[in-house]
Amino acid sequence: MPIEDEILVVEMLIQLSPKQAKLKAELQEYFEGLITPALKSELNDPNHFEGGGPEFKKAMRTMGVDGWIGLSWKKELGGKELSPIEQYIFVETVMRTGFPFPFLTTESVGPMIAEHGSDWAKEEIATKILKGELFFGIGYSEPNSGTDLASLQTKAIKDADGYLINGQKMWTSLANVSDYIWLAARTDFEAKNHKGISMFIVPTDDPGFSMTAINTLGDVRTNATFYDNIRVPETHLVGQPNQGWSLITSQLNLERLALVNHGPVEELYKNVLKLAATTKINNDQYLTDLSWVKNNFAQVYSGIEALKLICWKQTWIMESGHLNMAEASVAKVYGSEFFIQAYRLLMEIMGELSLLKNDSELSILNAKLERIYRTASILTFGGGTNEVQRDIIAMAGLLMPRTR
Amino acid sequence: MDFSELSHQGEIRDSLDKILLGHCTPENLKKFDAALKHDEDLLSLLASQGYLGLGINETYGGSGENLYDLGILFEKLGFHAAPLSLLGCLAEVAQTIQKFSEHESHQALISSILAGDIHTSAILEPLNQDPENPLTRAQINGDQLTITGTKYLSELASISKSLLVSVNSDEGVLLVLVDTHQTNISELATTANTPTFKVDFEDITINRSAIIHAHGRGLEALRYLLQTSMVMRSYLALGITEKMTALIAAYTSEREQFGRVIGSFQAVSHRAADCFIDLECLRLVSQQAAINLNTNLDCENDALVAKIWAGNACHRISYSAQHLHGGVGVDKDYVLWRYCLLAKECELINGSASQNIDRLGLNITANQ
Repeated sequence: MPIEDEILVVEMLIQLSPKQAKLKAELQEYFEGLITPALKSELNDPNHFEGGGPEFKKAMRTMGVDGWIGLSWKKELGGKELSPIEQYIFVETVMRTGFPFPFLTTESVGPMIAEHGSDWAKEEIATKILKGELFFGIGYSEPNSGTDLASLQTKAIKDADGYLINGQKMWTSLANVSDYIWLAARTDFEAKNHKGISMFIVPTDDPGFSMTAINTLGDVRTNATFYDNIRVPETHLVGQPNQGWSLITSQLNLERLALVNHGPVEELYKNVLKLAATTKINNDQYLTDLSWVKNNFAQVYSGIEALKLICWKQTWIMESGHLNMAEASVAKVYGSEFFIQAYRLLMEIMGELSLLKNDSELSILNAKLERIYRTASILTFGGGTNEVQRDIIAMAGLLMPRTR
Repeated sequence: MDFSELSHQGEIRDSLDKILLGHCTPENLKKFDAALKHDEDLLSLLASQGYLGLGINETYGGSGENLYDLGILFEKLGFHAAPLSLLGCLAEVAQTIQKFSEHESHQALISSILAGDIHTSAILEPLNQDPENPLTRAQINGDQLTITGTKYLSELASISKSLLVSVNSDEGVLLVLVDTHQTNISELATTANTPTFKVDFEDITINRSAIIHAHGRGLEALRYLLQTSMVMRSYLALGITEKMTALIAAYTSEREQFGRVIGSFQAVSHRAADCFIDLECLRLVSQQAAINLNTNLDCENDALVAKIWAGNACHRISYSAQHLHGGVGVDKDYVLWRYCLLAKECELINGSASQNIDRLGLNITANQ
């Protein structure tokens, strides 16, 4: 048997290191201070669920001053350059608080602009993102381009003064409270789909910009946005012309991982468990005395354990500089489908009380259960639909043939 | 947080694969379908190369007290459908004695196991849902214990030199070593042809020195034994389901219908992808439980989570494999059928998923 001469102490530990645990504690304390009662009540308002309100903007500026924006950015760009695990801990802690931290602006768009933007973009845009003063909506999807994003048709035609942009985007969340749109547009009409796309910074105060609200099942507003002869100078192009696809896809794994972070579902599990254990039902029993209630909790618990380990392993893989496509897709599929199942099991425990809305008499847990199931369904198709993720798992993980 | 394996673990994995691949050929496996499923030659080979010392302290010539190492062995035994049933011997007896016994005579038994002798356990009882509370009794008279009761699913009891038995007594739960010759043994025919036995204890008298643990630590030792067994069975399940998933990928990438390989149909590839997801979950929860048990002798919730995933993965992957193979999957000239039977066994022993969910639910709602 191949055994080393001297056996090392067992080093393998699947838990946070002391340094990581310290970061988590530090962040928890920070957010407790940041989230004031005024902010809390603003975040209960359906118009401000996802941020954009005055208290939210105030909190973001504070975070900018305190240096909590730009975690993934390189140090030379003014960021903290946290490791993937540390970023995951940040996302986890923020999400547990319910604060709608604008990850896409600060952690995806921001570092791309800081790295690939023009001088103007670096100075004007990137700096302000770091200060928490500027917000983006994401202009990727179109009415006829969703899962097949590379088929997008919004046009940016180059002329002597810059680019002329025309088209329509769908699901442009936060456009109503954003300063700019991070827009994917076609600049080469001859090239193959994904080889003719470029990325632009488009101001929402341009007269050619307009939008209509889309009200969703989860009471979260999103938008259809319209781009009618919007002219932007060349400084608004980010990266090389026709190289936009690599920018779009460069951070997909981290973004997918952020979507299925185990923090919020574990927080919800704990809160429902606490509530059920103190909720008296008939015959002086508590809800947690019922065997089926115990079973529901156990199913959620065993599911969260697996999710936590999948996410941790994924961050560990990223940390070591490797990329494992199959495992990133496992996290996305498993996490998003587990959420649906977990919310159902937890709602069952509280029964009909789970149906009561926030402003209703008798409502429980701020009606988190009532609302969360309405917002959960977007994750199985959003962020790369699970069918495509399963295709990737079969191909990259099991080396099976490409599906058609 | 660190998921990397120590350098010797990768080597163990590779060398075990090599040995087992050469040994567990279809012809060789077939030989054990109608006989006692116990490959003496393979056991001697593993003993002579030191693999029975995985997870055992260096003082006995083992690889060190790391259940992760032992997990690799069970994963590989499962992957190759090896005709060896060593959970009772290696996971239950050797590990529990290593952690709880202070007697030199008991510890000598570990050396005996490393040399290739079988010393197994007799823990489970028919219709007793709570193995922490054995129905088998020990009557204590001074230095003498008289044992009465029935155990079952004891692996390889017929060739085992001694049995580690859980009993209840006026002093609470005890784990005692019994000479196999003192008991009545009869073979059980099980679905996967695993050599398991019913063991009857009819007023057997043993000396108090047969108790393997310090006074008052019986329940703690039994809980450790049960948890280690659950986790190592989860590793066995991991190997079995890994193999079934690999078979799915290989078969559906070759089999053609409607002019294309069936693995290129999304309905097929997505079912395979779901097996891959189950497998990843099972691997991670098993590893977490093994690692946590290394430093904490009582990790019941981690062990339960591992075994719950093992039960569910065994069921789901086994039936996906059967289904996606069509008729080939049930043909005994192909390899899959053995894995499906082993999967069913792994699913049910050490608590089914439903039973363990129930137990986990009790634990997490207590003291709220």
